[in-house]
Amino acid sequence: MMNKYLKLAALFIPMLLLFISITEPGYAQLERERAIPDRHIDKIFWTTQNIGLNTTEMVAKRNLNSSVIHTFGLVNGGVDRFFGLDDGANTKISINYGLTDRLNLAIGRMTFQKVVDLKSKYKLMHQTESGSNPVSVALQFTAAATTLSGQNFTFSERLSFLTSLMVSRKMGPLSLQLSPMAAHLNNPHGSNPKRLYGVGFIAHYMLNNRFSLSAEYLPLFGNRFAGTTNTFGTALNIDTGGHVFQLFLTTSQFHNEQFIMANNRDQFEKGEFRFGFNINRNFGL
Amino acid sequence: MTISNHIRFFLFLFLALLNCLVHQAAFAQEFQASDGHAIFHSTVPLHSFTGESNYLNGLIDFEQNLVDFYLDLSTLKTGNSSRDRDMYDTLNIDQYPFAEFTGSIISDFSFSPDSLGKQPVTVSGEFTLNGVTVNKTVEGTIENRGRSLIINAEWVQDITDHEIEPPGILFYRVRDEMDIEIRAELFPVNQ
Repeated sequence: MMNKYLKLAALFIPMLLLFISITEPGYAQLERERAIPDRHIDKIFWTTQNIGLNTTEMVAKRNLNSSVIHTFGLVNGGVDRFFGLDDGANTKISINYGLTDRLNLAIGRMTFQKVVDLKSKYKLMHQTESGSNPVSVALQFTAAATTLSGQNFTFSERLSFLTSLMVSRKMGPLSLQLSPMAAHLNNPHGSNPKRLYGVGFIAHYMLNNRFSLSAEYLPLFGNRFAGTTNTFGTALNIDTGGHVFQLFLTTSQFHNEQFIMANNRDQFEKGEFRFGFNINRNFGL
Repeated sequence: MTISNHIRFFLFLFLALLNCLVHQAAFAQEFQASDGHAIFHSTVPLHSFTGESNYLNGLIDFEQNLVDFYLDLSTLKTGNSSRDRDMYDTLNIDQYPFAEFTGSIISDFSFSPDSLGKQPVTVSGEFTLNGVTVNKTVEGTIENRGRSLIINAEWVQDITDHEIEPPGILFYRVRDEMDIEIRAELFPVNQ
């Protein structure tokens, strides 16, 4: 009988010691654990707007992003026009504030047609590292008014609107975005349609932490303004830490989607493109 | 072996196990925190900025003379999201997400649960950032508040020691040295 007890003890004492060592509260280092296990994918795009199209990128809560965009005349004007830089630039100055990490409000003013626009963007979904959310999704609504004087328009006739759903995904250095959109112009002039529909495409490729390339294309579907074409643009993005600079070549001289859809008459493949730049600066408030 | 002998034997083992656990809990001198505060101050010409996090994890085990802290660097915020992203890139946090310190108390320090108050302490060990470990000696205080310990420490860290190139462009560059402060309230592990 004693042997049986010894056998049992030989079995259970090591088990007991093993149990104690497992339940030991930790005489070793802490186990390293990430504070947020399933983090959002960061920097899908480097700016909230890629040339003319808005991206799913947001301004963080209590941050203010300022943007100054210039787009000059056609490069094919040659050296006489200094490749378009002698021609009048369309300049847009805007500020974009992060009310929350998900909700941004922006106001901007553009030289051409003296357009003032108000924009709101809401982030519906963040792409996550685990893939639990495979894409980022944001919804944008823009209301714009032309404030050009000397024209006999009512306030309502000066208004235009845009709604866009942006869906993006980052895959390593490559980010892609698809953004179906609809524009409504209260006064489209003549027989032009009041409603325009398009799908924006953006591709962004990160070369390193400082440089990236991007391109965008905005084909329209259904009725369109007479003589207009689909816009295309390509950009070099430079992130200095404080600023993000975009140097771009694009067909459209306008800086928000409904005006791009209604006014672009140039074709990139025919050499009808313009040089422009966008300076973004983020401030913590 | 009768059934009652079996029961007695297993009861003995159970009590022995319980005794071990109770003994261990009663004399534990181990304190832990998961929401400590970490701050760094850095400067560029004409400007300074501060990053903060409330996710400092820490462990002090007086019995084993072990001091162990780590911080998930992605929780550091400076108030400017662009600067944060640039900082994360600079610190290479995708590859090395933690700043870590593991060491032991080297000064004359004695811990008694009943002895309340603040004592100076010197801790020496290894500090790891960007996957590069250097030896570090840090001075601070430990305050016994009865139900918890408050630890405070400050030191200057040269980030070039960790093979981190201070970010900058043209004529400005972030200073090599950062002032680091940590503050955490640690609670007994087994109570």
